[in-house]
Amino acid sequence: MEIYMDGLTKNYGKIRALDSINLKIEGHGCTGLLGPNGAGKTTMLKLTTNIIKPSKGKVELNNINVAMYPEKALETVGALIEQPEFYSYLTGYEILQFTARIKGLNKSEFASEVKRLGELTEINDFIRRKTGNYSRGMKQRLALSVAMLGNPDIIVLDEPTFGLDPKGMVDIRNIIKSLAKDHLVLLSTHLIYEARELCDRTIIINNGKIEYDSAMSPERDLLKITAENNVNIISDKVKNYSRDKNVFIIEKNKNFSNAEIISELMKQGLKINYVEKYDNLEDIYVSVINGKVIDNISS
Amino acid sequence: MLFLIVIVGAMMSYFSFKYINDLPTFLGGKVFSSSIKVEVFYYLWTLVLLYIPVFASVFFGSPAISSEIENKTAYYIFPLPINRYKLFFGKYFAAFTVTLFIIGIYLVFELITLTYLLGTIPVTYFLRSFAMLILFILSIMAVTFLISAIFNKNTYAYITVFVIYYIVFEAGSFIVELLYKYTPVYFLNEAGSIIERVYINVNVENPFISHLDINPAPFSAIVIAAMVMVIYTVISLAIALLLFEKKEVS
Repeated sequence: MEIYMDGLTKNYGKIRALDSINLKIEGHGCTGLLGPNGAGKTTMLKLTTNIIKPSKGKVELNNINVAMYPEKALETVGALIEQPEFYSYLTGYEILQFTARIKGLNKSEFASEVKRLGELTEINDFIRRKTGNYSRGMKQRLALSVAMLGNPDIIVLDEPTFGLDPKGMVDIRNIIKSLAKDHLVLLSTHLIYEARELCDRTIIINNGKIEYDSAMSPERDLLKITAENNVNIISDKVKNYSRDKNVFIIEKNKNFSNAEIISELMKQGLKINYVEKYDNLEDIYVSVINGKVIDNISS
Repeated sequence: MLFLIVIVGAMMSYFSFKYINDLPTFLGGKVFSSSIKVEVFYYLWTLVLLYIPVFASVFFGSPAISSEIENKTAYYIFPLPINRYKLFFGKYFAAFTVTLFIIGIYLVFELITLTYLLGTIPVTYFLRSFAMLILFILSIMAVTFLISAIFNKNTYAYITVFVIYYIVFEAGSFIVELLYKYTPVYFLNEAGSIIERVYINVNVENPFISHLDINPAPFSAIVIAAMVMVIYTVISLAIALLLFEKKEVS
């Protein structure tokens, strides 16, 4: 399973929404697209799922060009883009049935899929009702079922927890976590904590360009330590560190565990009050959006 | 729409029963042969029938493409592994079939009523009229789909279809006929009038008509009208398909 973008560009009139994107995502796992509103996240996903056509460049899904052979390319893809609406005169069951027919599922495959997805996305209570009467959350759950129907290799999700209540958010995130174990999930979100919780790889887009890709510059393993005193740290277990009064941001040497680092720091005379994992992604995001150099984050 | 057609069919039946013997009075007391009477009654039924494809195409065809964008169902349907050509023709033939079904109800009313009252069906003329009717539905639906593919809002599509049919076509043929004493057979409404003119070659919708003939339309007129409708169908579908293929939800 693979998504490949080569020089992908999209213009809306004079506005360049996406600018020469080169990206390759391979294998299972969740890749998160982060960025502010209008950054180009949804445009990228729409191009990936043939909702819009590229002005230049191409998207390939499992080596098949989406714009040229959409029917073939989208066979192995399930998508939830923006907040989809369904034909209001059809029930959720009929929507799944129609989708199954397009995806080429036979009757018995469809029956087992409805059972599986009904339990997974908890749509059983309202699946026989017309979608015109669905709430936002119900539609979102049905859309996720549609995306997962037929167990496609690649799942493209555009802000899947948008508009959901807290329980709905947790449910959907759990589904995405389990999907990422054996699917390629491309997830767009503007929630940093969501990306941190779900994604193995994070890409930050701003002004139509990829500004950061954790695959190219992996997040550093950082600890935030609040101490009672100040000491100069000299240790091969610590790659780098910064200090603001009694708060230390420690970049660990990855060969050592947190316990070993803390033990070492205490040996060096540091009186530690509190240790937490430092939220690196949030800083990276803010720096990228503000146009700062990412490498300066912890220095 | 179904309800409306049943009402219209029932009304036509009622008026046919009521005025079956009054035709000579309406036409200045002139006595017609029984075959002319049959053709006049089928002509009158078909005159009303001609409006149904137009209304049906507005009802079923106008929102066919534009609603996918306006109602955001495109976000559901476009990422599915289905060729847009298939999607387009699926919608087109669904709209055609449902229109034909509705018209079928009207035709059942017509055949039962007129067979009961007149005791005969002018089979050849009826089949010619029906064949032209199918072409007319295909062509008016194709034009409507083209308009629907241009717009992203249903209202614009509804209004434009009405404007094109009742102002551009109807008024256009009026004006051409008035100014140039010439029937613009290339207008879809004029071509569509062949459905009634296979019985009697008069287009009563156009008072400036240059051809007034109690006889059925000649075969050449049927061929020309059929060709016009086929051309409208092919060109409209080709452009609509191109537009739909490139349709984006942005």
